Formats: sequence, C-alpha cells, structure tokens
Amino acid sequence: MKNVIEVKNLTKEYKKLKAVDNLSFEVHEGEILGLLGPNGSGKTTTINCILSLLNFGSGSIEIFGKKMKPTAYDIKRDIGVVFQDVAVFEELTVYDNIDYFCGLYIKDKNTRKKYIDEAIYLVGLNEFKKFYPKQLSGGLLRRLNIACGVSHKPKIIFLDEPTVAVDPQSRNNILDGIKKLRDLGATIVYTTHYMEEVEILCDRVIILDKGKIIASGTNDELKELTKIEEKVSVEVIDLDDKYVRKIKEFDNVDEVTYKNHVLVISYKKGKNNLGELIEYLKKESIKYNNIFVERPTLNDVFLELTGKELRD
Amino acid sequence: MTVFRTYLKVLKSCIVTVIMYTIILMVFGAFNMQTSDTSTNFVSSKPDVLIINSDDNNKITNNLISYIENNSNIIDIEKTQEKIDDALFYRDVNYIIYIPKNYSKHFLEGKNPKIEIKSTGDYQASLAEMMLTRYIKVANVYKDVVDTEEDLINKINDTLSKETEVEVTSKLDTAGLSKASFYYNFASYSMLAGCVYVICLILSSFKSEKIKKRTVISSMNYRKYNRDLFLSNSLFAIVLCVFYVLLSFILLGDIMFSLNGIMYILNLFIFTICALSIAFLIGNLVNNKNAINGIVNVIALGSSFLCGAFVPAQFLPDTVLKIAHILPTYYYINNNDIILKLETLSIENIKPIVINMLIMLMFTIVFVVITNIISKKKSKIG
Amino acid sequence: MFIHNFKYALKTLLKNKMLIFWTFAFPIILGTFFKMAFSNIEKNEKLDIIDIAIVNNSEFKENETFKKSFEKLSDENDDERVFNTKYVTEDEARKLLENEEISGYLIFNDTPKVIVTSSGINETVLKYVTEEILQSEELVKNVIEHKIKEQVKNGTIEFNSFDVFIENLQKEALEMLKDDNVNIENVSNKNLSYTMIEYYTLIAMACLYGGILGMVVINQNLPNMSNNGKRVAISPTSKGKVILSSVLASYITQLFGLFLLFIYTIFVLKVDYGNNLLYVILLALVGSLSGLSLGVFIASVFKTNENLKTGIVISITMFGCFLSGMMGVTMKYIVDKNIPILNKLNPASMITDGLYSLYYYDTLDRYYFNVVSLLVFSLILIGISIISLRRQKYDSI
Repeated sequence: MKNVIEVKNLTKEYKKLKAVDNLSFEVHEGEILGLLGPNGSGKTTTINCILSLLNFGSGSIEIFGKKMKPTAYDIKRDIGVVFQDVAVFEELTVYDNIDYFCGLYIKDKNTRKKYIDEAIYLVGLNEFKKFYPKQLSGGLLRRLNIACGVSHKPKIIFLDEPTVAVDPQSRNNILDGIKKLRDLGATIVYTTHYMEEVEILCDRVIILDKGKIIASGTNDELKELTKIEEKVSVEVIDLDDKYVRKIKEFDNVDEVTYKNHVLVISYKKGKNNLGELIEYLKKESIKYNNIFVERPTLNDVFLELTGKELRD
Repeated sequence: MTVFRTYLKVLKSCIVTVIMYTIILMVFGAFNMQTSDTSTNFVSSKPDVLIINSDDNNKITNNLISYIENNSNIIDIEKTQEKIDDALFYRDVNYIIYIPKNYSKHFLEGKNPKIEIKSTGDYQASLAEMMLTRYIKVANVYKDVVDTEEDLINKINDTLSKETEVEVTSKLDTAGLSKASFYYNFASYSMLAGCVYVICLILSSFKSEKIKKRTVISSMNYRKYNRDLFLSNSLFAIVLCVFYVLLSFILLGDIMFSLNGIMYILNLFIFTICALSIAFLIGNLVNNKNAINGIVNVIALGSSFLCGAFVPAQFLPDTVLKIAHILPTYYYINNNDIILKLETLSIENIKPIVINMLIMLMFTIVFVVITNIISKKKSKIG
Repeated sequence: MFIHNFKYALKTLLKNKMLIFWTFAFPIILGTFFKMAFSNIEKNEKLDIIDIAIVNNSEFKENETFKKSFEKLSDENDDERVFNTKYVTEDEARKLLENEEISGYLIFNDTPKVIVTSSGINETVLKYVTEEILQSEELVKNVIEHKIKEQVKNGTIEFNSFDVFIENLQKEALEMLKDDNVNIENVSNKNLSYTMIEYYTLIAMACLYGGILGMVVINQNLPNMSNNGKRVAISPTSKGKVILSSVLASYITQLFGLFLLFIYTIFVLKVDYGNNLLYVILLALVGSLSGLSLGVFIASVFKTNENLKTGIVISITMFGCFLSGMMGVTMKYIVDKNIPILNKLNPASMITDGLYSLYYYDTLDRYYFNVVSLLVFSLILIGISIISLRRQKYDSI
C-alpha cells in the first residue's frame, strides 16, 4: 500500500510543554485514519505541523513523497482541511463562502461552480445557499465549515474534530459525508476524542497521549491489546459475598465486583461465559433483573494503557 | 444583592471608557480655565498684537510702539514669516503691525508713510485697528503744529491719555462663573456618554438572550430582578454625578460655594436623571454590543454639538438652536446659561430655571414610558 | 486568483456594517455636527453693531462734538456704523441695561461716564469711542490754540471775522481727523477661516480610520490571527498575492469612503480646500496610505484579538486628531509651537497641516514636507509589517 503522508520523529515544543514528542507514523492511500486522544494530546498540533502552519523542533514530513513546506503549492493543491473551529466569513453567504475558499484552489470558473454544487450537495446545504452564517444552526454551520474545506476535491482531507457539539442528525450527515469522500478516493485523517466515531468510521487508529503514540492499528488489533474480551453486568438485589468469591473461580474470569446491586464480571476470553453464568445463578436461585454484555471499547484500551479515561 | 454584585463585576469591564470621558472633561475643563481674571472692576479687552519694527530705534517709532504695547497684549513669538502667519491663523495674534524702514523719518517729512498690517478681521482686530488709526490720526495732526519731536510726543501722549470713567454695575464674578458654566456644559457630554455607554453595555449583557432565559427560569422574581438592575444603574448614574460635582469643587474652588454653584449642581442632578432614562431607552432598543459604541458617540456628540455644550449656544446658528429644542440637553445648557447671570434668588429669577428643569423631567417621563412599552413587547422570548 | 481574492475582500469589507459605519458614516456625521456648531463662530467674532443708550440730559444736548459723533457712528446709512443708539432718560437707560438690551450707556455730568454691567469687548469699544471723541475735542482745542498763537505771533489775526476763522480751523482739524488720512494697508492672506482646521482633522480621522479596513483584511489572511487565515495559509496560493490583493481592496474601499467625505464636505458643508484640487487629491492618497500602513502594521505586529486592535487604531487616531486640533483648533497650534516634533510624527497632524498649508499658504514647501513625511511614515510601517508578514510558519497559532 502506498503511503501518502510520512511523518518521522516529529517533535514540537512550546515554551514548557512538549506538545508532540518524537512522533512517527504514515497514512496509507485511501484509508480513513483516526487520531484518537484526549484534549491536549497533540492531535491538532500534529496536523498543523503537517500543514506547515507551525514551526517544529525536529523531524521530517513528506506528503506524496515530497517534503512539505509553506510554498509547496502542488502538494497544497491536493490537501483539504476542516478545522476544529468554524472558519467562515460572517459577511458572505453559504455559496460565496465556499466559492471564496474553493477559488483559492480552482481557477477555472465553470469547474469551480460544479465543485461548489457538489460540495453543497455532499453536506446537504442545498436549501441554505443564500443564507448567511449567523442564520445557520450550529450543526449546519459545521457542515458549511466542512464544505469550505473539501469543495476543491482534495486527495488528502484532514478533519479536526468536525463533530464537536453537533446534533445527532448533523453528525450522521457528516460521518456519511466522510465515508462518501473516502469512497470517491480521498485519504482521510480524522481526529476526535469520540471513540464511537472512530469505531464506526476508521480503518486504522492511532491513539495519542501527551504527544506520544501509545498504540496504533485497526480497531480489532487495538482491542486485542486489552486482556478483557467481554464484560457482563448483572443487576442483583442481594448477593452474598460467598457467591462473589465463587464466581471469581470460574474459567476465564479476570475480575468480579459487586457494587450498588450490580455484579460486574470481566472475562479474559469471550466464549460461552454468559450461559455458564445464567446456569449458575439459576442453580443457586439468585434473583436477577437485567443482564448486559459488553465488548471492550477503545476507552477500555485507553484506560488500560494510560490508567485514565479518554474523556476527562 | 446577586444582581448588584454581578453588576459591579460587569461594570469593571467598561469602566475604562467612563474614565476616558472623565479625563476628557478634566482636560477641557482645565484647558479653559487658564484665563483667570476675577476682578469686578472694569478691564478693557486687550487685543493680541504683534509689532514687527523695521525702523531704527528712535523716539517717534518707539512712542508708537509703546502706545500699542500699553493698550494690548504683545505676543512674543519667533519672528519668522511662517511662525507669524501661523500665529495669525490660529488667533495667537489678532493684529500684526509692520512698521516700515525709515518710518519716523518719512513721517516727520510729511510723507505719511504706509504701515502694513495683517488682521484676523475679528473684533479684537477691529479694536487694535481703532487704536492704531487713532494714534496715527493724532500724530498726523500734531505733526504740523508742533516744532520739536519731544513736544510732538508729549502732545500725542497727553491727548491719548485722556480716559473715560467707567462704572461696572454687576457684582458677579463673571470670569469664575463662566468657567463653571463651561465645566457644567461640558459635563453634559461626559455624563450622557458615560451613562448611555455603561448602562447600554450592562443591559446588553444582562438582557442577552441566553442570560435572560436563565434569569427568567430562575427562582428569582423577574420583577425584583429588574428592579435591582434599575437601582444598580441609578446608583451608578448618581455616583457619577456626585463624582463630577466633587471634581468641579476641586477644579473651580470657591465659586461653587455660592447660589450659582448650588444651582449648577441641582441642574446637573436633574440632567443625570434624564440621561439615565435615555440610557434605559437606548439599552432596551439596542442589544448589539458592537453597535453601542457608534450609537453612544452619535447621540452624545450630536446633542452636545447641537445644544451648545462645546460651543456656547450664543454662537450657534438659529436653525440649529431650534432643532436643539427637541433634545433635553438644550434645556440643561440653557439653564447653565441662565445660572451664569443669576444674581439673586427670587421667584422671578428662578422661574425660567424651574421651567427648564420641568421640561427635562417631562422628557424623562416620556422616555420611561416608551421604554416600558418597548420592554413589554420584548419581554417574551422568541 | 488576485482578482478572485480582491473581489471577495471587497465584498467582506463592504458587508461589514460596523466597519462601514466607522469609516464612512461617522466622519460624515461628525462633519455635520461641526458644521452646525461652528458655522457661526467666526461670524460672531466680527464686531457687530453695538446697542447702546445715551442719557439725553441737557449736558449731552449742549455737547456738539459728542452729539455729532454719535449721530455719525449710529447712522444707518453708513457702512462703518458702530452703534445702534437710543436716546433715553437715565432710568430708562438703567432698565435697558438690566434687561441686557444694551451693552452700556453714556451719561454726562461734567465729563462723560460709561456704565456697563461687566467687562467685555462691546463695553471696551464704547469706552474707546467715548475716549476718542474726548481726545479729538482736546486735539481740536490744541490745534486751534496753536493756530491762534501763530496768527497772533504773525499779527495776521482778524478779529472781525474771528468766528468764521475759528469755524474754519475747526473744520480743518476735523478734516485731518478723517480716516482717509491714515495710511494703513491690510496685507493678510485671504483664507483666514480657522474652523477649516476642524474639517481637515476630520479628513485626517477618516484617512486613519481607514486603517481599520486594512487591519481587518490582514487579520483575515493570517493563520495566527484568524481561522479563515488558516484556510488561506494551507491553500496553494502565494501569501504575498493574497495579502497584496486584500490590502489593495481595503485601500480602494478607504478611498471610496474618503471620496464620499470630500464630496459631502465640499458641496454640502462648503469646506474650502484651497484652489488646487490635484494637490488635495495627492494628499488624500498619501494620507489614506498612512492610515492603511498603520492598520497593516498593527494587524501584523500585535498578536491580540481584533477588537483590541480596532481599539488601538481608534485610540491612536483620536489622540492624533486631538493633537492636530479636532477638539479645539488651538491644540494644534500649541503643539506646533511648543513640541513641534510631536506633530511631525503624528500622521493626523501631517494630513491636517498639509491641507492647512494648501489653504493658507501660497507656497508649497510646507505641503510637500507633509506629503514626504506621510510617505516616510507609511514606508517605515509597511517595511516593519513586511518583515513580520514574510513569516510563513509560526511558533504558535
């Protein structure tokens, strides 16, 4: 597989803080790469460095096999960015905003017109072409923000937390749009701290913490990093301690807790555990209400790797 | 108390502007107070004159110069052409007299030498020209009848020293009072601008849609909330008023401890109430913080220029003054002008002042009513 | 690309209501206020006809010189009329004075006495004129005395026609006292209206406020100042081109606003800019450039939010205008006279002074000095801005 972006040993320090610490990774052509990490983990700084917006201490960045620099216009032509904060002109309509930013890339008027219409269709703003930004709701504004970033049909698209504070409807629209862009052949770098999005969307994930990569791989690969494969929660009104001790001795069981009338059992391996448990509960005539079975999430991965929750 | 405490915190963020308006008031107040002449005897107005003498040092010329010098303020500036012209343009001098070379010689020979002058054409210049003309006339007449230079000079000076007795009837300290009048006129600008700016900004914070929503759903009685807000704003306006009054005591001194001084203070107080109602009206009309600055400037500068806060009302064109009647500031300024000439306390003297105050209060009532109508319409969200 | 960006820069500027208010509308509104307030000032400073009264008692009636002199000075058909005189009783005169219908009145008891309420210019004129008449009386008396002495000495005196002789002498003396014999020539410059300075500072203010436009467009294009700037920075367009076209757009917007202001001040407010409009236009171009460079400088060198930057431009402008006489024309003169260096560094003053020198002076030296100063000012600021703008990458954004 071809690498469209190669980052090697990237380090960026602010006065005291090491924002990015000796970071190396690649982005493969045609994939959606998720950069996952809590706030302040260095995601945005990494992207800004890749885009040559920021000076960095050491390391090298190559895009399409060429060194990235501020005047590398041929590279920039094929990059699209959707920034975390909405970056549009208050004074311009939806259409004019996209036209302005698209015009920075596409000179030909007819092509541009076609591209703008396609971008508007992609984010579903057809009915709002003549609206001014302040007339749009938060979600629609986000969609405009995306349209401004991708209207010129870039080959690489950076999306920096495009769904923060967005309603579910707009969020689904945005996620669908991103998939569509990938299907059209774009490579996508997607940063977020919503692990659910990463799980739905991304082909590959890099987890960042304090400017360092702490894990990377596909969703499944990452989940294998945890020792837990399955987690079962049972609501039990009253449970004697002896049963808890007994359950602990079952096969595959890693840990058992009983708190607030909820029994949580973590299993190292994920087969036949539930059946065995229900049988046991029946046998001992223990009354239970609900049973939940959970697969481990990236949050669990993160929790296990760093000892803290992804979202603080 | 919550409202008041928050009010003070928001006030902190816009206090710089109030300080700025106050500094402007102080600068212009002090600027205008340089000329201090408090005597109640008659003092002739003296034009500012500059004499450029190209003649030699001799008795005839020197006598002319000393006559002009005694009856005018001689301005000392660098005598380059440009400096002189600038001085004339900016009224540093009203009248420039160029005494030509060989003036006295030609004068004695009866050639009636030409004196060039530059004049600003205003009344001071007219006065200077009267003076110069008179001297030359007298000198011309005596020149033919007197034999010696000495005699000539004596005769001229004898004649010109004849003075008229002048009696001044008013015992008012006009100079001091006109300073006070100027200060209080200018204070209307600072007061109006400060009040409207602060109150609009604070109202726009308190009444911004989201904060308003929060307040409406809170357990606090919305009426009480509005009342607290109103009281806080009123307190601010009154504190500002008191502050400007104290400042006037510092800047103007004794003159404020008089009947006129008390009237100035009372007048400012009434105006403060009126300014407060204007501020409430605008604060209820405008919710856009960015627009407030523009509106404050237009309203404060507009009413100050139109009503004579900066330029004395007597210098304003009649049409402008007629338009000014629709503004409350006009009545405030008008009162200050009346107070300036107020000598004794009598019903007849006070009547026009009271009428003007009542008009200001009428304006206040009208503004309050309009504010209420508007805020009723706006009270529901959405 | 250049045109594309130019077009949109214009569009964003013209759609920004606050900007347009401060740069276009505010100077026009302020100018209108100036016109309302100042249009009569200079007229009021001319000596008006003064209302006075003279107590019409027997002493006055007997004094021919005074009677005739005041008749002449109060003559409605005389161009040089000074007084509007009422001849009344003493009580009436006192009442008139109390009601401020007259500036003062004259009463004769042996000598004339002037009665006024306070010191002032009208009162001074009344005193002066009264004195002058007294002095003339004395003068005529002295001349006649002298002539008689001369005649007596020469023995040519004819007593039978003495009355005629005296009358002739009196006539002769009064003839000599006519103004025509005074050889004074007024060589003042024609344009002496100092309130013009107010309007010139207005132009200066508009020029410098225009800098806000330049500041806004620069902010839009810098990744460390705005999010839109980030978008521009990652696009495949040269930074120089984008900034140049944006700045050009703001300069043209600024000039358009200034053009409107000039039209308004010339045709509605009747402001006099002197005779040569071309020089005025050159000064306007250079003045706007100085405003633009100020805006660009503040936008590119200071790293704070836009509101604060606008505040800085407005403060600098207003302080500059204050020093160049906007809040009182005398201020400019005081600074020019005492701390000239301050106004040589102050762009508002350079613009004001440039317009002033076109209006007041016949020579152009001072005008060119101001134009060159403005250019130097602009170039220095633009130079510093370019150094700062050349940066392509930032340490933090």
